[in-house]
Amino acid sequence: MIVCVAVVGHQNNPLYIQSFTDADDALKLHHIVHCSLDVVDERVNNPKKSGPTLNDTFLGLLYPTENYKVYGYLTNTKVKFILVTTDLDVRDADVRNFFRRFHAAYVDAVSNPFHVPDKKITSRTFADRVSTIVKSFGLSSAT
Amino acid sequence: MPPAAPRSGEAIFSSVDRVNAKLFTLTYGAIVRQLLNDLEEVEEVNKQLDQMGYNIGIRMIDEFLAKSNVSRCIDFKETAEMIVNVGFKMFLGVTASVTKWDADGSCCSIVLEENPLVDFVELLDTCQGLYYCNILSGVIRGALEMVVMKTEVTWLRDMLRGDDAYELQVKLLSQLPEEYPYKDDE
Repeated sequence: MIVCVAVVGHQNNPLYIQSFTDADDALKLHHIVHCSLDVVDERVNNPKKSGPTLNDTFLGLLYPTENYKVYGYLTNTKVKFILVTTDLDVRDADVRNFFRRFHAAYVDAVSNPFHVPDKKITSRTFADRVSTIVKSFGLSSAT
Repeated sequence: MPPAAPRSGEAIFSSVDRVNAKLFTLTYGAIVRQLLNDLEEVEEVNKQLDQMGYNIGIRMIDEFLAKSNVSRCIDFKETAEMIVNVGFKMFLGVTASVTKWDADGSCCSIVLEENPLVDFVELLDTCQGLYYCNILSGVIRGALEMVVMKTEVTWLRDMLRGDDAYELQVKLLSQLPEEYPYKDDE
């Protein structure tokens, strides 16, 4: 179950944070997202030598906490997408697929001429699309 | 040499040079944004977009007539059909339709299901009175004025405001007879 998605700008400013649980620990989720930014910076500055670096957008599992897993994705404009999920067994392919669709929704939101770059994303269409993607992520990995 | 037959909108659209749709959409979006920044009043921006469309339309009509080889239209109904079937297809690549003719054939509605100008656009709450595609109404008005038809073009439905399609109402105000620049007795 995805509990939170976040889009963070290239100066580590939050552009979009949405939590999908009813529990009121939104602050805790924000804190987790914030901490994961450090891990992202670490990964970016020390690229792993093993493995091909062709797809260096998907950063993979950033760090597991007691009951959450945090995944990261970095675009070429240094905008980061952070995904926080409570699922214990999440397939890599599912997460990659999720980020791909999320990236597409993000690009459409940013193409809006009324969106100011590096300001919060206020598009309702983007919020709806993100909810749809999040819902379908939960379903596909429930098999 | 016999005159060339009129060509369909599809045929012309596929034979002219085309530009990337995203570039076109983003350029138009940039124009509207800049106008909003400069003029700040939504009504002023609407008027300016209409004026820009007018300037485009008076030039575009020559290109239209040159490329499409259509013959003279008998009445306004045929004109509207021509705009919709050939004009919109040729310049924007969209299929539009004409509906809601009134009793004396001087007022109709052009309905656009898709509109490449507005991909990815969401209006802000601060510019709710904006007719984002007002350039289109100016283009139609300008083009028809060059073929001596004075029209009034207004927006009935706008998808950016929550409707399900784009609908333009084109009303023929007057049709001036052709004026010859030379006097007969000179």
